Amino acid sequence: MKPIEKKSLQTIFKQIGTQKLIAILALILIYIFFAIFSGPFRTSNTLISIFDSSYYIGFLAIGVTFVIITGGIDLSIGTVMVCSALMGGVLYEKGLPLPFALLAIVLIGAAFGLANGLMVSVLKLPAFIATLGTMMVTRGLGSIITGTKSITFPLRTAADGWYKSLFRTGAVGGLETGFPSGFLLLIGGAVIMAVILSKTRTGRYILALGSNKEATRLSGVNIVKWETIAYVISGTFAGIAAVSYVAIYSTVQPGTGNGFELDAIAGVVIGGTSLAGGVGSVAGTIIGVFIMSILKVGLPFIGLQPHYQLFITGFVLIAAVYADVRNRMKKKTR
Amino acid sequence: MYFKRVMADLKKCNRIAAMGAAMVLTVSMMLSGCSKPEEPTSSGNASSGDKMTVEIVAKGFQHDFWQAVLKGTEKAAEEFGVTTNFVGPEGEGAIAAQVEQLNNAINKGPDAICLAALDTSAAIDAISNAQSKGIPIIGFDSGVPGAPEGSVAANAATDNYKAGELAAEKMYEAIKDKITTSSDTVRIGIVAQEANSESITQRTAGFAEKMSALIGEDKSSVEGHDKYSRKVEGAKVIIEIRIPTEVTDNAGKTEALTLLNKEDLIAIYGSNEFAAKCIINANEGMNKLGADKVIAVGFDSGALQLDAVKSGVFYGSVTQDPVSIGYNAVKLAVAAAKGETVEDVDTGCQWYNAENMDSPEIAPCLYE
Repeated sequence: MKPIEKKSLQTIFKQIGTQKLIAILALILIYIFFAIFSGPFRTSNTLISIFDSSYYIGFLAIGVTFVIITGGIDLSIGTVMVCSALMGGVLYEKGLPLPFALLAIVLIGAAFGLANGLMVSVLKLPAFIATLGTMMVTRGLGSIITGTKSITFPLRTAADGWYKSLFRTGAVGGLETGFPSGFLLLIGGAVIMAVILSKTRTGRYILALGSNKEATRLSGVNIVKWETIAYVISGTFAGIAAVSYVAIYSTVQPGTGNGFELDAIAGVVIGGTSLAGGVGSVAGTIIGVFIMSILKVGLPFIGLQPHYQLFITGFVLIAAVYADVRNRMKKKTR
Repeated sequence: MYFKRVMADLKKCNRIAAMGAAMVLTVSMMLSGCSKPEEPTSSGNASSGDKMTVEIVAKGFQHDFWQAVLKGTEKAAEEFGVTTNFVGPEGEGAIAAQVEQLNNAINKGPDAICLAALDTSAAIDAISNAQSKGIPIIGFDSGVPGAPEGSVAANAATDNYKAGELAAEKMYEAIKDKITTSSDTVRIGIVAQEANSESITQRTAGFAEKMSALIGEDKSSVEGHDKYSRKVEGAKVIIEIRIPTEVTDNAGKTEALTLLNKEDLIAIYGSNEFAAKCIINANEGMNKLGADKVIAVGFDSGALQLDAVKSGVFYGSVTQDPVSIGYNAVKLAVAAAKGETVEDVDTGCQWYNAENMDSPEIAPCLYE
């Protein structure tokens, strides 16, 4: 009886992957750490705030996971997010009904993703440079379109304010703080993309592309198409991230957005996706994003001044990447 | 014929890529075509006839406050018949970018420069350069504190220290009973955007010091950030200052949240539009702010803050007169360029709340 039990436990661990298990463990430990050291951290409102601050980074991270799996990178997601939000906001101010404006935001993000994809797969520009260019273009474009003004989307109290409840409901039932409905959307999106990555042709080709581009091409796969699709996914999710951003923060300012991409990429890497490509998981990305969010919310709670917060977050990132590299080396020598 | 051959030669893929890129570019250009008009009179020509030029380097456009300042400068430009060029870095943390813009402005050889420095020491070289070229500098908003002797002719600004004091005085009226009747320690929170620029530091310091004076220096302790620390053990009132790591909605909201979560918090102050916005965002779902709850006081305006003041979530806020700041900055610049002696102009600050925010004195100072 005993030998059979041992085997199934081992296979379970293998299926989940040690990297992800370490990440989940780290997530729980970090949360407990802050909960012990700061009373107010334990409140439900703090938990909901952690969720609030992770939606836009989470969506960005899900999208860019696909690009990183192809071995590329997308530096434009932060500014594309802001630019899409601004352009959607301008359309809304000009009279487009809110649901269409929100849809337009997602489509605009997808369009920028398409531009990125074409530059990388057809024009063969290095992903770093192509997306860096798009980042700068969209950074300026947002200011051009709005005339450097910021755009404020309807507040919760306004007639059009219902969209906010998609991500955080108002006081409902006995819950004064509202329900973090955005978490359901984020997990839903993550599940859909995880299924796409592991069970569909799209996902498999993208993984193959990242693992060995030449071999994939020689097997007859249209790598131009699939590489472009990875960037379109990234851009679309930047658009979705934009919708979640305006739902939580209401006001979007041109010229912002820089740095969000690095936060998202940090989440992706902590979650186990390698920057070398060929390997990745959406679940890992979500875990990585939440680790970053908990750090960002928790460190101020234990009274640390801003400079210490940045310092510690940097160390956590380095430690996480080191763990991933070591894990990978171990796998190779086995 | 030749064209046909070229098109045929192009591989199908390249054509699609070229069309795709062209489409994105075209759409972008079309959309920029229907954008709102850009800032006026951007002078590519330094001296068009006899018109004077004034280069204005602001702290950026990250807050709509600057749009109102811009309007003021346009008003003055029209009135005095000068050409102005209003620039600013993308964000209020971009010190290096602003120094570059200042250098560009100096190299254009204008008749005068208006400057709201993000960080004076970073701009020292540029300022000395302007001085040696004989270009007068007029400070506005934050001004150029600590500038070398004689380089800045005058300032058009709010007395930010006084403005901070005003906020403290008004807040004190609402909370003084709570302080005297409470037996435990109470806390007053301050959210400040950063600790570099003159305007923010003065407003924060003015508030903290006035509040300490009103409560009693021995009964109040200022803590939370090295810059403003005045710790008093066992003080009845703790004034805690929190500054986010970066000037982003996320980081600012988290700092505000830390304060709102403290059980002994009785009041909270945001020393500019960004800080007030973060406090409002942090309050969402907690509903801790209000007349008989935590008293919130803000600064400047902006859509979110105006809504909060109107609905009573905010007890009130202090507004500057951004249009007057811009107007007076250019007015002083023109005078200085003509060689006249100029003096500082205090553009003033006012307290507004739900009752008086629509009055003719206050309304023009507020912006969406």
